[in-house]
Amino acid sequence: MVSGHKEVYGGGSMIEAIRIHFQGIKTALAVRMAYRADFFISTFIMLLVEFMTPLVTYLIYRNGASLPGWSMYEVLLIQGIFLLSRGIAFPFFFGIVWNTIDRVREGTFDLLLIKPRSVLHMAIITGFDSEDIGKLLGGLVLFTAALLNLPFPGISEWLKFIAIFFVSLVVMFGFAIILAGLGIVWVGNYRVYEIFFSISNFGMYPASIFSKLFQTIITSVLPISMLGFVPASVLLGKPAEGTIHSVLTSFVFLFASLLFWKTMLARYTSSGG
Amino acid sequence: MIINVENLTKTYTSYERGNTFKEAFLSLFARKMKTVEAVKGISFSIKKGELVGFLGPNGAGKSTTLKILTGILFPTSGKVDIMGYTPWKDRKKYVAHIGAVFGQKSQLLWDIPPIDAFYLNKAIYSIPDKIFNEKLASMTELLSVQELIKKPTRLLSLGERMKCEFIMAMLHNPEIVFLDEPTIGLDVIAKDKIREFILEMNSQGVTFILTTHDLGDIERLTERVIVINHGETVFDNSIDALRSHLGTKKAVSITTSGPLPILDIPGVEVKNRLSEYSAELELDVSLMELNRFIDYINRNSTLSDMSLQELPIEEVIKDLYSGTDKNTGITYSD
Repeated sequence: MVSGHKEVYGGGSMIEAIRIHFQGIKTALAVRMAYRADFFISTFIMLLVEFMTPLVTYLIYRNGASLPGWSMYEVLLIQGIFLLSRGIAFPFFFGIVWNTIDRVREGTFDLLLIKPRSVLHMAIITGFDSEDIGKLLGGLVLFTAALLNLPFPGISEWLKFIAIFFVSLVVMFGFAIILAGLGIVWVGNYRVYEIFFSISNFGMYPASIFSKLFQTIITSVLPISMLGFVPASVLLGKPAEGTIHSVLTSFVFLFASLLFWKTMLARYTSSGG
Repeated sequence: MIINVENLTKTYTSYERGNTFKEAFLSLFARKMKTVEAVKGISFSIKKGELVGFLGPNGAGKSTTLKILTGILFPTSGKVDIMGYTPWKDRKKYVAHIGAVFGQKSQLLWDIPPIDAFYLNKAIYSIPDKIFNEKLASMTELLSVQELIKKPTRLLSLGERMKCEFIMAMLHNPEIVFLDEPTIGLDVIAKDKIREFILEMNSQGVTFILTTHDLGDIERLTERVIVINHGETVFDNSIDALRSHLGTKKAVSITTSGPLPILDIPGVEVKNRLSEYSAELELDVSLMELNRFIDYINRNSTLSDMSLQELPIEEVIKDLYSGTDKNTGITYSD
């Protein structure tokens, strides 16, 4: 049916997708750097905010209290990894959340639908958030500082850690998709971030401090422990029970979130925005 | 036919919130549902290379139809075939062939120069370097914005920005371009430039569908006009046919040397009584022939001056928007 038309550009390869993503990042950085002072100040403030929990942890241990079975540096390592995971997720793909909320409210979400790419891909490309680079820096600093004060992990621990850390990004992506999906139908509601923060913060502590039931929930239902606790345990060479189970749950979670996004998108395209 | 639309309908439900505080408060718990029939069975087809004006009052269903045609919304029922694609089903493949300019929604990025946004589009559409550069050079020259595209978008005037929106929408060589009020808020010179650009692109074979409230756009650009009102097509014909739609009516202004006679007679409608001696009228010559009219005036007073004109196109549009279709006699009021 479709023939005799002009050449259509656009391929669908992975490399192509990544190339577009980088163009999006370059563009977003250019936007932020248009206001240099703001760029540095907001990156710095982001860093301060993110260091609140580690600071509280430090104060707790300084005053003789502790989380049972975990040394201060081990807990700081969990929090460093948690920050690292957020530090990668927030600038590179978590921006789909505010991007979607903003666009649906302003009516510019339509502009993503007239591009020859998946809407999710377009939301990621145009949602790069350079301010959140502060989180990444903070995570790197905290991670390194904690690690220097702990016995250095062996190669096998590192390899397992890298794999599990990747899964933590999968969980982050799942969360981002769910929140963005909510943003489509729940117009103008930035509260979704608060929901996310209050839920995800449980990933910043050793799961062992929670009740058995809650532990099961955050490892096997909503894989929040994957965001900091599980990768840290693996790196420390004392993997928590049910780690494999958590990994499987994480992928199921991603799949479910994609389904949710698809449903919400269909509601958008059928309702008239 | 490059576009074929058959019996397109779109119904959606919205919620009524009420306007008093009490109603707004109650709506937090229970909302009244309202079914809106935005589009009620529109059909038309468009040939390759046509430049079609798509008119209708606010809320007529224009935007909804345009959103369906661009693949943003899917319809409740009906068939759309554009270049062999069904927009909402083959969205990703289909939209690579089309472009769109929304007068009220910018595709540029506010804080950085348009050229950066162009490069983002280059990546999204995977436009080869050579074609991108050629296309960019020719369009910036045509619109005389070679230097402007390097300035941050926020520093550009509305007219300059709109020119850049057109470049953004056409870098990937679309075959069909949808324009939604592309000249809104522009000064006459910017409007002219944009219109020239549209005509030039059209002469190169690009099909345009244009919605506008600016009848200047329609008169300068289009050869064919589709008017929709209350979700239905009320007119689909050439611009000449549009002009003669109210053909039997003429705009008449008369001045008499004595007081004006009684003008409340069949076929005559007083539009503006300027003084006791002069008035502007609308004369329906199918009800009151011109010579009979002159005769009537002269019998009851003395005609000293008179001018006769076709009704301005605005009157035709007003007539169509107000919902009386002369050809069918159907009234589309609520």
